[in-house]
Amino acid sequence: MKRLIFLLLPFLLCGCSRDMNRREIDEVNFIHALGIDYADGEYTISAIFNSGGGADPEGSGEAGSEEISNGTGKTPYAAYEDLRLKNKKAITLTQAGFFLIGDTAAKEGIDLCLDFLSRNETIKLESLIYVTKGEKAEDFINAAIENKQAVSEDLEAIKQKQQEIITRNDNNLVNILNEMKQNYSSVLIPYLTAEESGFLIEGYAIFDQLKLYDYLDKETSSGINFMKNIVRSYPIHLENGTGLSISYTDTDLKTKLENDKIIIKIKVNFESMIKEVNMEGDTFTYEVLSKLTKEQNQYVENIIRKAADYSVTTGLDILQLARIIENQNVSQWRDLKETWEDNISKIEFEYELNSRIVKSFILGKER
Amino acid sequence: MEITLNSQVIKEHFSKSGDVLVRPIKIKQNNVTFHIFCVDGLINSQLVDMALLQSLTLDPYLTEVKTERAVMDYLLGSGSYHVFASEEADITKVLKNVLSGMVAFIFDGEQKAVIYDIRMFEKRSIQAPEEEGVMKGAKDSFIEVMRINTALIRRRIRSEYLVMETLTAGRISKTDMTLAYISNIANLETVNRIKDKINTIDIDNVSTPAFIEEFLIENKKSIFPQIMYTQRPDRVSANLSDGRIALVVDGMPFVYLLPCQLPMMMQTPEDYANHFFVGSFLRIIRYTLMIITLFLPAFYIAATTYQNQMLPVQLALSIQKSKVNVPFSSATEVLGLLIAFEILIEAGLRLPKAVGTAMSILGGLVIGQSAVAASLISPAVVVIVALAGIAGFILPNQDLSSGVRLTRFLLAILAALAGFFGLVVGLVILIVHLCSLDNYGVAYLSPFVDIEESNRKDTLLRFPIKFFKKRPDDIAPENITKQN
Repeated sequence: MKRLIFLLLPFLLCGCSRDMNRREIDEVNFIHALGIDYADGEYTISAIFNSGGGADPEGSGEAGSEEISNGTGKTPYAAYEDLRLKNKKAITLTQAGFFLIGDTAAKEGIDLCLDFLSRNETIKLESLIYVTKGEKAEDFINAAIENKQAVSEDLEAIKQKQQEIITRNDNNLVNILNEMKQNYSSVLIPYLTAEESGFLIEGYAIFDQLKLYDYLDKETSSGINFMKNIVRSYPIHLENGTGLSISYTDTDLKTKLENDKIIIKIKVNFESMIKEVNMEGDTFTYEVLSKLTKEQNQYVENIIRKAADYSVTTGLDILQLARIIENQNVSQWRDLKETWEDNISKIEFEYELNSRIVKSFILGKER
Repeated sequence: MEITLNSQVIKEHFSKSGDVLVRPIKIKQNNVTFHIFCVDGLINSQLVDMALLQSLTLDPYLTEVKTERAVMDYLLGSGSYHVFASEEADITKVLKNVLSGMVAFIFDGEQKAVIYDIRMFEKRSIQAPEEEGVMKGAKDSFIEVMRINTALIRRRIRSEYLVMETLTAGRISKTDMTLAYISNIANLETVNRIKDKINTIDIDNVSTPAFIEEFLIENKKSIFPQIMYTQRPDRVSANLSDGRIALVVDGMPFVYLLPCQLPMMMQTPEDYANHFFVGSFLRIIRYTLMIITLFLPAFYIAATTYQNQMLPVQLALSIQKSKVNVPFSSATEVLGLLIAFEILIEAGLRLPKAVGTAMSILGGLVIGQSAVAASLISPAVVVIVALAGIAGFILPNQDLSSGVRLTRFLLAILAALAGFFGLVVGLVILIVHLCSLDNYGVAYLSPFVDIEESNRKDTLLRFPIKFFKKRPDDIAPENITKQN
């Protein structure tokens, strides 16, 4: 029997190979980034390929130029199929690292945009999703290519920049799909704007009922990052001209339910380093440092307050408060969740910020 | 019918063999005649002349000795200046002893012989081990002469419990073997099992290692080595102290060690010569490279043919770019180059050293470079196969290296058939197979699979010597304390 199994094994595996997308690596075009747009009742999928995908027999070693290819259809999947048929080579999403959702497609609903991606078994779950602010993803990409930008490289640079500022990129595909399942909280996706030399992340695009609601400014978005406890570094520019950089943060959110009131206590501990001093006298005296500490506490509190106020004003749970309340008050949440949309506007926030300034190594006593 | 010991019979039997000497010697003092029977080239003829024949011709005492029996008693007593003397009546044993290099004085009247062990034949000197060389450690290695090899072991273990049992195998070759073990440490059941196996060897000639190994290993279908060999006496002595059993075979410049487990073959004497951090680091590298040599070609095939999402974007693009004009599939490229690699190794072994070097350069560099330039293979595959090949050479045991090389092929084929699924199937089969191997009652993956944690202190990591307090209890169950 054992011998029979061993003899049959290669044949069984041969049979399996038919269903395993067997395709040589040089027979496919890798999509690096995919744009999804919606206009006039049709979706457009814009795929960015590397045109030098092996087409350089001399092997110069230089990256080939990027090409954009489009497909249209009634649904994103139909558009993708159209793109697939139009392409000379087989295309694959296996190496797609970035998905750009156009402004109109985001307003139509991200669930419609991402559904076909979530069902693709070859896709990378850590692919990042961005919204292109105020324009179609296709136009955004075309403008960049016309501007002689390398879109994939610039998107990769954006990813690196994000990681310099925050400890984790929450805008990956699997995370966004999970957030979409949360009925009580808003989905947040960073939005991109085009600059002459590259792309820029300014803040978060807010989704209400999975449809684009608003674009948050930089400070409010940073406030969200503080609340989510994902800040890696953040610059502080005080009015007296002192520049500091936050090097460590720890945020703790505690909920308190009193009668019908929901109180959320936000406790932030952080450390910063002085990066720039533009005032006379010795900076590293107890008095000056205490003053700077108070000022930087106020600076960060204002940022956090901005995010909290936005949530209360709009009634959108952009701070994932529902999940925190649910985790900390399991039994009460059953009643609260029924009227969550009303309750969110009544939440009261208490702030406690503690910080300390760490001396920079190269700065001496003077200034 | 039993043949009696007689010089005439022997003389007739060896009448066509010029190297066999059967010559009568007459003791002039008493006119007793005996026949000297030996093989020219296997004996120390100077010692025969000086220590034996000279004493017989000059000793005045012999005038008083009149019978053959008395002469024999005299020779076995103090009549000859040689320590290894014995009496033998069985013609078969006399023949065996003489053909292995001893000298027999045949007394036809008594139908008996006095045998002297005066073996001396051409042998190479003890040199540094070629395969298991170390920078810091002993530089001697076994040679083809069994008795010298046993002496090398005995020199390192001066225990009265070191037993060296002599056995013989081979109907024609009658090859001598010595089973060495420390009687108060080794598992005597295992000793008996090995002896039984040696006794079942019923072939004409035990001339190559395979003739021994195939009889001694328990799972003959496995391509993984289940008997360890070493050229180093220090290694044998260390393993004997652990309770293992050594088999010294005459004519083979290495010694077998049993029972054998996989981790043994990943260790080198240098691990113990260096600081334990260095030793552990080297072991981790060795294990890592074993994984690389086993799985890298299969991984490459699976990743470039099926699941290319396993590759980082830049690497995928780089491979794609290098492969675009290559007419063969990744699997064909890798398997072809692996075969070419084996051909190069085989050719390198067969050719004389000087030509072998030239052939390696020609095969490895010129043909490899030309094949890449002609787009017959992609540079990425050359790198993958070269990396896997070099990683394979890091394995200390050549038998293990061969087994790993063959497994590498099988895994590559499975990956070509079904990508990572095939690779995982191969991995599962490999693990199940290795776990199922049993070597004289000891699991092949022991001590990795041992329940006893203390046994694992000399596996992936080499702990400081003070932690080696116990011997592996499955190897030396009766005497497990190594140090207090």
